[in-house]
Amino acid sequence: MVITGLGAFTAIGKNVLQFHRSLEEGRAGIDEVTLFEVSKYPSKIAAQIRDYDPSDYFDRNELRRLSRTDQFAIIASREALRNAGIEVNGGAHPEIGVFLGAGAGGMFSAEQYHRDLLLKGRERPRPSLLVPFLPSYSTDAVARRFRLCGPKGTITTACSSSATSIGYSADLIKRGYADVMICGGSDAMSELTFGGFNALRVVDTAPCKPFDARRMGMTLGEGAGILVLEELNRARARGASIHAEFLGYCTIGEAYHMTAPEPSGTEQSRTMREAMREAHIGPDEVDYISAHGTGTPINDRVETLAIKDALGERAYSVPVSSIKSMVGHCLGSAGAIEATAAVLSITRDFIPPTVNYRERDEACDLDYVPGQSRRQRVETVLSNSFAFGGNCTTIVMRKYE
Amino acid sequence: MNEGIVITGIGVVSSIGIGRDQFCRGLRKGADGISKINNFDTSPFRAKKGGRVTGFNAREFISVSKIRKLDRASQLAIAASRLALEDGELTINHSNSSEIGIILGSGFCGLANSEAFHRGQVLRGFLEMNPMLFPNTVPNAATGNVSIELGIKGVNSTVVQSYCTAETAVIMACDLLVEGRAEAILTGGVDELSEILFRAYTALNLLSHDRGDGEMSRPYDLKRNGIVLGEGAAIIVLEREGHALSRGIRPYGRILGYSIVGGSHDDSPWGDMERAIKLAMEGIHGGRKIDYISGAGNSSKRVDEMEARAIKGAFPSDYQAIPISSVKSMIGESIASGGMRMAANAIILQEGFIPPTIHYQTPDPRCDLNYVVNRSVEREVNTILHNGISPDGTYASILLGR
Repeated sequence: MVITGLGAFTAIGKNVLQFHRSLEEGRAGIDEVTLFEVSKYPSKIAAQIRDYDPSDYFDRNELRRLSRTDQFAIIASREALRNAGIEVNGGAHPEIGVFLGAGAGGMFSAEQYHRDLLLKGRERPRPSLLVPFLPSYSTDAVARRFRLCGPKGTITTACSSSATSIGYSADLIKRGYADVMICGGSDAMSELTFGGFNALRVVDTAPCKPFDARRMGMTLGEGAGILVLEELNRARARGASIHAEFLGYCTIGEAYHMTAPEPSGTEQSRTMREAMREAHIGPDEVDYISAHGTGTPINDRVETLAIKDALGERAYSVPVSSIKSMVGHCLGSAGAIEATAAVLSITRDFIPPTVNYRERDEACDLDYVPGQSRRQRVETVLSNSFAFGGNCTTIVMRKYE
Repeated sequence: MNEGIVITGIGVVSSIGIGRDQFCRGLRKGADGISKINNFDTSPFRAKKGGRVTGFNAREFISVSKIRKLDRASQLAIAASRLALEDGELTINHSNSSEIGIILGSGFCGLANSEAFHRGQVLRGFLEMNPMLFPNTVPNAATGNVSIELGIKGVNSTVVQSYCTAETAVIMACDLLVEGRAEAILTGGVDELSEILFRAYTALNLLSHDRGDGEMSRPYDLKRNGIVLGEGAAIIVLEREGHALSRGIRPYGRILGYSIVGGSHDDSPWGDMERAIKLAMEGIHGGRKIDYISGAGNSSKRVDEMEARAIKGAFPSDYQAIPISSVKSMIGESIASGGMRMAANAIILQEGFIPPTIHYQTPDPRCDLNYVVNRSVEREVNTILHNGISPDGTYASILLGR
């Protein structure tokens, strides 16, 4: 299984080229939120996508029925399809499926409806704000836009959604249900989510500092990451350029707690070990771990424990970094944006940094690639995604030669 | 299908019965689960009815201290999951917990909880927000809570795909079982009926209301005028055949084939449903005839008509011979109602009867299939074709056999 196309639309780059440059330069996209009023929240920052005018990408008719999340999904999918050299002009494509991960979906639109309803009383809010509410609407929007009519679905496991969508898409191709799968995910910020994470007190008031001793919590983000998956032989036959191989994945439930990770890291470690087993690789072959690394005190400590448990001694010589320090925690699309970064690290042979990392925490004693990216040959990458509900996903990718 | 997948347990919390036996009785007698809503004020709305689950006592399934931390969808899902495990005689313990998975479909999961959380945010401001409500605003709250409550540590996912949501979950579960990612998976759907959902469906003009002929869910009837919202949780235990045999359980039936496709977005969407049916039937060997079609008909003009055209296209010579009905006439429609229909399919295979489309009075010339109406029919059913239709462009077919 190989990855032949990439698309990215994030706070650190509105296409893969810009996204890659920011990752190499260690540039963060975190600033004050302007999408909604944040003065009342302890944290006022996020990796919000800025200088974005939807009318640069969509005509007005189209926009009326697309949430911010749908828009990001379509923009990144268009780039990924082009990047893969797949022509989608005109005809229907039963050989191409779409399986995306989603988070808040059209919440940003739906909450405007609800706010109007609560505050304006009798005046009827616009019903069209509700149309894209269901998280599968983004998947439908992408499929409709490019007339992709193969298998379709949407994973909604919060922060691991889009990583799982990549894994299951590989299964769908393997099982013969599609030649090509568009996978990954998109998620836009919403005030409900922003307020919620603030209310849980897991948000840092300053830009997040994953694995740093001073870390206070996460910084939210938004964006889309889309990957094009297909079978190696098909990709070769059509002369596609191959970014990387997709080796395998594992997705499990911890059955421990809705929001807290199992504290010993046993379950997260099991996820990584199972993914490596499926990928037929040993710990010594892992060159880079793209961490979930949210920047909350407990998450980063447990992930570190889990990496040490899964990789043994090897853990100390594998760079581990969290690009959430630059792109924020994009929830429903986090896994896909991180997978996109992981593929770039493989094709460009570099390790993206954990920016803002300065002070070592005794409980986090691995190599977190502080501050600056590193030039290094990268063959095999693990990318971790852990979510509310105790959902854990690890995906494995390798250089194709 | 190169690995046999069987259904070994079902758990249902529905408006026509809780548990396998009650649900079975409800299907057989064509019970009407739809009634006037009395847990919130419907006076601002034209529609007044819903398929609300009544007589559900969460304390029979969940400890009192936990109940108040759980949204309604999670409560319904935990109850249905417990019933399904019991029915399937499957015990989850330390030695098998990582081989048992859960893949649920849900539309908006605990939407009432999310609404309460957001209402606090808008009306009272940040300092008054209740952080306890936030964790269960995620769409995978029910799946997460079931896995925690029952100790399910295997594959874990939640899916949504408009009105094909539960079908997507079932299909994903089958794929993961075939791939050997689990030995057994709890799958199906859960939805809750809340005031905010009722309001949203009203705003989008999707609900049936009384225009002189009553407000009801009457799929395929000429006078149908929209859906009636339902709720509930239906969980089926899907299992690798070898695993089921090794523990000596007699399955309800097996999954023979399935497909889920996107719409071509041309002028003939029924063609996509037809394509899904044909793909699902590729898995079976010639000669096996369909004894019953579990219809996707949901009392909306469009879906019911689209289904009729698709079935005529897929079975041009014998469509008049295949009985079809829609359980949604009894329980109403919800995003993941396919779970309820899958549980019904299991019962139909085992018991040998065809449940009716109730409230059917006036034939619609555009819906001209062999509908089983108003009374169930006792008959051996060996093969079922289950269809899922989402007007947003997703079409699913699942083929089941005895």
